[in-house]
Amino acid sequence: MEIYREEWIGDFVLIEYKPIQLQRPSYAIISLPDTGLVSVISATHILKSLKLEEVAGIDSYTYFPPVAVISNKILRSPIRIFTGNNLLVIYTEFMLPTPGLIQLAKILIDYLERKGVEYILLPSGLPVQNRFELEQLRTYYLATSPKALELVKNVEVIPFENGLLAGPYALLLKEFSRAKLNALLLLTESFLEFPDPEAAARSIDMISRIMGVAIDVKELIEQAELIRIRARDVMKNTLRGLAQMRKDMEYTVPLHT
Amino acid sequence: MIDEEFERIFKRIREVEKRIREYMEDEIRKTMRSIREELAFAEGLFRPMWNHEGHLRPLFSINDRGSYYEILIDLPKADEKTIDVRFQGNLMFLRAKLKEEIAFSDISGKGGETKFYEYREVIELPIVVDPNKVRIDIRKGIIRVLIYK
Repeated sequence: MEIYREEWIGDFVLIEYKPIQLQRPSYAIISLPDTGLVSVISATHILKSLKLEEVAGIDSYTYFPPVAVISNKILRSPIRIFTGNNLLVIYTEFMLPTPGLIQLAKILIDYLERKGVEYILLPSGLPVQNRFELEQLRTYYLATSPKALELVKNVEVIPFENGLLAGPYALLLKEFSRAKLNALLLLTESFLEFPDPEAAARSIDMISRIMGVAIDVKELIEQAELIRIRARDVMKNTLRGLAQMRKDMEYTVPLHT
Repeated sequence: MIDEEFERIFKRIREVEKRIREYMEDEIRKTMRSIREELAFAEGLFRPMWNHEGHLRPLFSINDRGSYYEILIDLPKADEKTIDVRFQGNLMFLRAKLKEEIAFSDISGKGGETKFYEYREVIELPIVVDPNKVRIDIRKGIIRVLIYK
């Protein structure tokens, strides 16, 4: 693995394997393990479908357990960065503790600004108690700016009007909003505790429409059962982290709306 | 007069004593539950989701829905006709054959000779189950077990 550039930022190290040049309009997808692994499954499929290239990684000896990620015989970082055309995908299957996540959010803000990313897409799942019975899944959105809101103009998504968000995306959304970035959170109804490829397919469909790029989800649906088997360990580890982040608060009905 | 006053004081003491006892019992119950959850998690941490004999362990969740408990079990690639659920006391025994054998390399990306053919799990439930008060639904490889209280 050749290193083009290495930079220590606080407790994290950013390693680039080659220079990154994004076409416009430029998008970033941030994929962190959360509800139903919707984000992780979506990103994995997008990486494969659009044949994105791994160009960088982020590691931390403070916030990650001592793990080495090996992909096709090459040592990679726990947070992996892929790119192609006008898209940058930041992907990890590891849960970060809240203090690490706060630091990572600030690093990402700086990094995405430097790379000239115009829009940030945050796909995740929205836990619903009756997911077992649901056939048609709905996707809700939250935008941090009027420019980000423009993205959903002709897309079949519903505004998230009232309620609580908990977990990694709640934190990212707050930090991105404070930094005045154009971020769009997409929450698709899903299982909380099981990997949900169906919800991921719906989420990809929304991303595909927003970006105007065709991403076929047929293979994802066909492979759904195998993905559910493969994702069991990541799901198990994620649930522990989500419990610490009080994910159950998303079921809370707020008093004042 | 003095007797009445003492009686009033003793009554008050007994009420305070009762409240303290209830509070303590409640706190102990909560702590015990939290310790049990921690232990179960720690035990699960080093317990892989598969074994070399060819068994997979499913993901499952237990939720209290008020008048019933909802147990969801994720069984992708399970042959629904072979799903076998039995109860004994507060334990639920689950077995289900896979529609086809799956090689360890298919799900791990690593090598290995192991092939999986069945799901097996024993789930500890919060209550002793009366099998007459159980409803089971299966949909898209997920079992929902409703246990009415």
